[in-house]
Amino acid sequence: MRSLISLIIALVVINTNLYAAEAGMPQLDPTYWASQAFWLILVFAVLYISISKFYLPKIKDNLDNRESKIKEDLENASKFKEQSETKMREYLLIIENAKKEVSKIHFESKNNLDKNIKSKKEAMEKEIETEILKAKKEIVDLKKGSISSIQIISENIVSSIIENISGDRLNESSIKATVEDVSKKNIGKYL
Amino acid sequence: MASNPMQQFTVHRIGPEIKIAGIDLSFTNASLFMVISASTILMFLFFGTKEKKIIPSQIQLIAEMFYTFVAKMISDTAGSKAKPYFPFIFSLFMFVLFCNMVGMLPYSFTVTSHIIVTLIMALFIFVAVTIIGFIKHGFKYLSIFVPSGVPAVLLPLITIIEIISYLSRPVSLSVRLFANMMAGHTMLKVFGGFVVSLGILGGWLPLSFSVALTGLEILVAFLQAYVFAILTCIYLNDALNLHH
Repeated sequence: MRSLISLIIALVVINTNLYAAEAGMPQLDPTYWASQAFWLILVFAVLYISISKFYLPKIKDNLDNRESKIKEDLENASKFKEQSETKMREYLLIIENAKKEVSKIHFESKNNLDKNIKSKKEAMEKEIETEILKAKKEIVDLKKGSISSIQIISENIVSSIIENISGDRLNESSIKATVEDVSKKNIGKYL
Repeated sequence: MASNPMQQFTVHRIGPEIKIAGIDLSFTNASLFMVISASTILMFLFFGTKEKKIIPSQIQLIAEMFYTFVAKMISDTAGSKAKPYFPFIFSLFMFVLFCNMVGMLPYSFTVTSHIIVTLIMALFIFVAVTIIGFIKHGFKYLSIFVPSGVPAVLLPLITIIEIISYLSRPVSLSVRLFANMMAGHTMLKVFGGFVVSLGILGGWLPLSFSVALTGLEILVAFLQAYVFAILTCIYLNDALNLHH
């Protein structure tokens, strides 16, 4: 819009001043047109050549450089991140394994301990039992031994009592049989 | 004091008269400011590309911003086929921009406020684009004048209009830049004259206008360089990619 307005203004200005270049618009004075054209082309050519051959490649190089550097850095960063992640995973795996090992060891040792205790307990019980049996047997033996000695003592007492009372010596074998009979009858009370 | 606001546009010879084959090619103030603008660009680019830092310095960043700005403008309007013409459009944009900006300095001369300068640039672009079009597409390039999807009755009329609009491209391109620059600088000069003639009592109003206009003119200086470059890209796009 603005350019259109200025275009109209310029056209009006050109129309009104075309025949009065010296008085109005110095732009329409053709004295130095050739000079301006010549110097414009010369200056612009120099500018164009130095920009296109020298400065733009430099800027482009630098921009590309930066882009590749950023890309490289980002790649490196992601690589390092990956590495750290794998390390982290390894670490977690190690920890998990260690935990498993620990629980295994714990379980095993507990089992071992249990087994050990159990076997020891069993052995102890067995020993105790045999001891008890032995003791019982001893008691029975002792009892038996005491019964036979009691019998002998009784026989002696009986024979001496009879001798004292009757003055007779009784047949030893009949006394023995009688004491045996009595003791057999009464032995159940003590055994 | 030059009271005539058009005084600033006069071209005068500096140094000896140079005549080649009867044509006056003397070095003038216009030539001087062309050289100043071009050497400013070259100096700016020299310092902008002096250090190739990964993290750019300020001037390097500005040079790279110009580069990416123009590169984006070309790829947006003319596509990837226009890549070989990037240096030309970059130079053109920088030259017009710096001529406009140097012209904004007080007591300087605005190279682009001369119709002959803008016309030569526009004509060069027009001829070059037409040649590129014919080289790329041969006589099929003439189909640019025959838009598709137009009723047959209207076709002759449309074609004539298209031909006229195509041929008026160099005129519109050159006059747009020239008129904008001339109008802006004349206006600045007129308001500047008002400040002087109204004096210390009444000069404040035109002075504030002058300040506002200076800001506007700096915007216009950039905008016209941009428009000049982007229209070149659009013309180039027409020549490279036949859309019709």
